[in-house]
Amino acid sequence: MNVKERGASRKAAGREVRQASGKTAASEKPRAKGGGCCNRRCKRAAAATPHRASLHTCIHTHTNKHSDLRYCTAYTVHSTSSSIHYKNFVFVTDTQLKRLFILVTGRRQTYVGRIKFAQFDTVSTAKKIIVATEENVLAALHLKTGEIVWRHVFESDSSGNIRLLHVGDKITTVTGDNPYLVRGWDSATGVLMSEWSLTMQDGSRAEFSEFWVQNGLLVHMVPIYHSHIEVTMYNLMTGSNRGATSKLPASWIDPGQVISICLFTAPYYTCVSRDTPSRMLLSINVTSNPIQVIRRSLSSIMQGAPGHLRALDGNSVIPGLIVEDKKIVLFKNNDFKVLNTDVPHYIASATVADTARGPVVMQIQSSRGYHLIAHTLSGELVPEVHSPDSFYDIEEPELLAVTCARDQLACRLLMNTVDEAVHLVQQGGVILWSREESLANIKSVEFVDLPVSEADAALESEFDQKEGSVWWSFVRRLQSQVQQLQVLVERLRSGEVLEQGPASLHRDYFNLHRIMVLVTEAGKIFGMDNLSGSLVWNLYLPTLSGARTILTRRAARHPHTAMITIVGTHADTGNGYIVTLDPITGRIVPEHTVQLDLGILQCMTLQETGDDQLRALVILDEDEAVQVYPPSAASLVHNVHMYVADPDTAIVKGYAIRYNGREVVSERTWSSYLGGSRLARIVSVSSRSRLERVRSPGRALADRSVLYKYSNPNLVLFVLEKTDPTHKDVVVSVVLDAVTGAVVGASSHRRARALPLAVHADNCFAYMYRSDKHRRVEIATMELYEGKDRWSPAGEPFSSSASWRAPVVERQAYILPALPTAAAFTITERSLTDRHVLLGLSSGGVVEVPWSFLEARRGAVGEESVLPYLPELPLPAERVLSYNLTLPRLAALHTSPAGLESTSLMLATGLDLFYTRVAPSRTFDLLKDDFDYYLITIVLAALVLATYGTKYLASRKTLKMAWK
Amino acid sequence: MEHSLNCKTEKFCPRGSISLRSMRTGTAVIEQINFNKQHISQLKDLADLDGFYTVRTLVTTSDSIREIEYLSSVKAKYFLDSRLSDVINAWILPNGEVMAVTFQVTNTTNGNVLEATAAEYEINSKFYVNHVDQAPVPDTATYIQKLEREREAKEKGDLKDNRPFYAKYWMYIVPILIFVMISGAANPEPASQPAR
Repeated sequence: MNVKERGASRKAAGREVRQASGKTAASEKPRAKGGGCCNRRCKRAAAATPHRASLHTCIHTHTNKHSDLRYCTAYTVHSTSSSIHYKNFVFVTDTQLKRLFILVTGRRQTYVGRIKFAQFDTVSTAKKIIVATEENVLAALHLKTGEIVWRHVFESDSSGNIRLLHVGDKITTVTGDNPYLVRGWDSATGVLMSEWSLTMQDGSRAEFSEFWVQNGLLVHMVPIYHSHIEVTMYNLMTGSNRGATSKLPASWIDPGQVISICLFTAPYYTCVSRDTPSRMLLSINVTSNPIQVIRRSLSSIMQGAPGHLRALDGNSVIPGLIVEDKKIVLFKNNDFKVLNTDVPHYIASATVADTARGPVVMQIQSSRGYHLIAHTLSGELVPEVHSPDSFYDIEEPELLAVTCARDQLACRLLMNTVDEAVHLVQQGGVILWSREESLANIKSVEFVDLPVSEADAALESEFDQKEGSVWWSFVRRLQSQVQQLQVLVERLRSGEVLEQGPASLHRDYFNLHRIMVLVTEAGKIFGMDNLSGSLVWNLYLPTLSGARTILTRRAARHPHTAMITIVGTHADTGNGYIVTLDPITGRIVPEHTVQLDLGILQCMTLQETGDDQLRALVILDEDEAVQVYPPSAASLVHNVHMYVADPDTAIVKGYAIRYNGREVVSERTWSSYLGGSRLARIVSVSSRSRLERVRSPGRALADRSVLYKYSNPNLVLFVLEKTDPTHKDVVVSVVLDAVTGAVVGASSHRRARALPLAVHADNCFAYMYRSDKHRRVEIATMELYEGKDRWSPAGEPFSSSASWRAPVVERQAYILPALPTAAAFTITERSLTDRHVLLGLSSGGVVEVPWSFLEARRGAVGEESVLPYLPELPLPAERVLSYNLTLPRLAALHTSPAGLESTSLMLATGLDLFYTRVAPSRTFDLLKDDFDYYLITIVLAALVLATYGTKYLASRKTLKMAWK
Repeated sequence: MEHSLNCKTEKFCPRGSISLRSMRTGTAVIEQINFNKQHISQLKDLADLDGFYTVRTLVTTSDSIREIEYLSSVKAKYFLDSRLSDVINAWILPNGEVMAVTFQVTNTTNGNVLEATAAEYEINSKFYVNHVDQAPVPDTATYIQKLEREREAKEKGDLKDNRPFYAKYWMYIVPILIFVMISGAANPEPASQPAR
């Protein structure tokens, strides 16, 4: 929901830090009861208003739960929307099966991440591109479509880091960081063929080692500064060492400058000498025998060059360097060959490719768009490959791999752009396919409602007009009905079929069709259609970085367009950067896009809206000053509270923000040291979702009394980790009221490490930690209750400042037989449906766990509505939402309510994207997919016929009786 | 303990002190100043603005090196409404460190507003020490015990059940017998028809 940065955490690459820095603001105003329910859709919602529903709703849900309980314990039926087709699978055709499969499982899109190395696989019959990425993924992409043929996901830390990719008749990779793993893969299937490990004795030099493959041997090179170069060759398959390590004397290698001044372009190792007055370019072919050092003065290549070297991109067939981003130097016949064509731009990418006319130097000319220049080595232009015009709007393209046909001048170029997209470009600048690999790293997700269609909008605007007499509204009613009739007649005449295709971006009947706004790490923002998974729009903002959050400023309500605001930091200055855009079209709203002069501590949107339905954005900056956008909304700010937590020190501060007649000011109202005086770290923070509603004030007990829930909307759950001299690591969880700073409940776990997973909804809290003592993952849950008496009368709005009583805290802990990586609560429109916790597991599945399995009162004596206590949570295979799909590196789960009460929409992000619908209490408000419409129509018709038939017969009989 | 009321130049001035003798029992001695008319009028001014009455607590322990500052606020209006009675909650971590000191006003239902008539008013404070306690751990021991008890009960049941057949199922046999007898008595078999 919002952002906070501190000097240290801004740049910190640590994932936890960033995760923990997401903060929420709390407003003391209780959430409006059924806010925004004025449209007709609410009237369709099956049940009573949740806030008002007292005992009746309570018991209703209670029995609901009870009936669900039976299914849960038996593990035979599961509650996802369409488990029904299970048995029919055998009989359906393949395409049907595929369609059904998508329906049942949801939709998955696979990604590989930003590509580091790529090579065309020209050896095997099925043409592929083999890629290795910065996400430590090895994959084969289909040459024609760009789809993933096979994929291997390695470890996410440095042990999975891919250092070498070589494609021959099989694929060779070197991964890790001393010890290295050398693996051979079959290029057609991706099956592992061979694996051996390589360990260097001297680990301190490991980071400078270089690998390449030459004549079927793996060559490993380590430079030892001021002394020599060690070169070792290994058999690719077995790893057997052929002979000893050879040491090549090279005392000219300059220490300390190895990163900028020395460069390795297999098999040449090149340095710029520093000691001689005229700088020399020294190079050595480390595999040649006898050893020969090539020298050339830098000034003969380029005047006044300080000696900046860069290697050619894209698997150049001839090894070469770019000196000072200007001159291309190739190694030919053990000598330097300086090309007479200059590199046009300082970030321009260049490579040498083998074509029908011999080696050709290809260069991307500009930083924007696709300008390809091709020369032969002697400097003459190759017009066939040359592509002087910029066809596409692509950012800073970099050549990854080039392949050209042997017999004619036709080339294919694989290019990486700075926004992490990959394009395969053909001769003449035709893009064959593109992949948006930045989607493998999503920071923030928001589900946005689509605007209503024009007919619905007309209807809504009719009811929106409140002024006017009864007659006026009657006239309006007639007018709109005439309009509707006209539209209908028009449609019938043109023979248009009434259909809501996925292309039409209009709200559907149950509000299931949405736009998902995805903000990626690379600074690219996407609008994705949730039903088809296609990208509707994209927007690249290279300067947007840092922790991000999306706030909905305005829903798409006629006549206003929707508006969302992305709050992040500016990449160059680290100050606040606010981007507002229309989520349906992806267009930036320039008047609401601001670059602040200061960092942002916290931000939120107001509950109340101005005349234009726009919620104002309130920002607390680093100087604890408040800024309101738009400034005209300042007078709406009253009774607003925010909190700011520092993840590294665990100090949490609360601010009251109000309008004093002239400007909006903040006042610090509370501060706490959640971790005590010693060092502690906030691992995760969870506050109530904006979309969450309270369904009932309490729950019915077996003795017919009601246990009232403590439904404070301003609660925030903090999970801290701190070291303790006696118990090693201690996890402390604190629930506090963000308005007053009052601690509502707290508990500690000894010898445990916190996981950055905490969820909160209504009066329920859950967080996960790793128990060091038992070496397992446990999930702790908390529930807050007022007790059997209600503290305030029904319907009275809750106020944090006026309350002083402490609720009863029920606590429980369970063993989780899996490693979770993401967690979320399901959210439904009115929160009448059961609440489930969705867990993303490291094994690649998304499991739903009913709250009745986790609830803190589980095992209470004499209670029929709660399950008996079981220490270990069962995670049955039927409850895996992703079915047989594996979602590697699952990072986060995002849920949003659908227009149907039973259904919640879920998007899992990570390396892959996975979207599905969840129905926690099963689809009670939907007809099943195999509902037999024909049967029910026939039965009804038969019944009507039978009624009239018997009526006729009966009257005839009475007539006959009367005659007798 | 300091508050932000009737302080001339500085932001906070002393309000009182709480000395906690023993952390475990939570017995504490509270010494606080009384509010005079100036205090009350200033509090009223704050209440008119819907402002906050802020209390700063500086915590020192016998072994601590530095003072740690905790802030907490209550709405001035509510504080007046409750006739200057508040609840002070101190939360203490298991290792004895103070996590939070918070002020909250008590029941605000008695609506009679404090009139600045008397010269001095006493602050009514209640002080509670809350310990952050151990969270429950997954209770495997009792669950295993329960399972074992059930298994034992089952085994016992199996052992006991070696009574003769009639002793075990007499309750089913008797009603059937009675039913047969009654039905037999009710319709006596019709006499065999005489041969033609």
